[in-house]
Amino acid sequence: MAKKTYDLLFKLLLIGDSGVGKTCILFRFSDDAFTTTFISTIGIDFKIKTVELRGKKIKLQIWDTAGQERFHTITTSYYRGAMGIMLVYDITNEKSFENIVKWLRNIDEHANEDVEKMILGNKCDMTDKRTVSKERGETIAREHSIRFMETSAKANINIERAFSELAEAILIKTAGKEPGDPVDRVTVDRRPTNTSKSCCN
Amino acid sequence: MPDCSENYEKEISDGKNARNIKCKYCNSVILTPSTAAFTSFEFQLPLIRQSKINEQNPETENVSLFWAVTDMFTFQNVGFSNTVGNNKYLTCADCEAGPIGYHDLSNKMSYVALSRVIHS
Repeated sequence: MAKKTYDLLFKLLLIGDSGVGKTCILFRFSDDAFTTTFISTIGIDFKIKTVELRGKKIKLQIWDTAGQERFHTITTSYYRGAMGIMLVYDITNEKSFENIVKWLRNIDEHANEDVEKMILGNKCDMTDKRTVSKERGETIAREHSIRFMETSAKANINIERAFSELAEAILIKTAGKEPGDPVDRVTVDRRPTNTSKSCCN
Repeated sequence: MPDCSENYEKEISDGKNARNIKCKYCNSVILTPSTAAFTSFEFQLPLIRQSKINEQNPETENVSLFWAVTDMFTFQNVGFSNTVGNNKYLTCADCEAGPIGYHDLSNKMSYVALSRVIHS
């Protein structure tokens, strides 16, 4: 058996309204008039990313809501085992910001109470279309005692930092526990989901 | 398909990948050196680009050279698609280019096609 190549495994969720750019990426294969990409047709279930913090190699298993948020069907099963949640709104979309409060309530109802949260105001590269000021984001985060950051997935601003900070907060929280505790692994064949197709818009 | 196995000889050291395995399109690191075992078998891997007329019946190509990974958390960065049949397809975690290989749900093995990635 191969030796374990990491120290810790954290399960993270991306939550927020549709179209806020949760799955947005730097560069992606785009569809054109005649062709589509195989992956965009079937959709992505989760990603594994590796970060190094305090000399520890940490694997992040990142799930996004895969369109379930459209139907407000995010419930306990989705939150199960989640250690961190990125709550994302779009700084050019007032409604997505207002819904952050709804999402916080949903998290309170369904997620583990000590889940680490962070609010992200995404698309901060789109300054001319901004409708939600940074101050409003900071205020709501302060009111709920949650970390906050503005990001741009498209311009790659603060994305890595956001994941590192969330992972670090979880690391601090779990530091008291025994090293080598069995990590909560999630089975991959958990659910047949509808095709997800989220993008930067 | 041209046989390019010879080009890959220098990539294999002690049966494992000698260098980093990266995305062809965005350079994201998928596997670090010496974490995947070279293996060879035939598999029909869907093409990255598909004609829209064909969505129900994706076009595939025969791929035969793979890096085998026993534990999915060995990957540095990777994406897993939704399940199709008994498999999940693997993608770049950053640009989502793929399939670069597949994950077999029955034995939990992941296979990255040598021809769909770069080694550097």
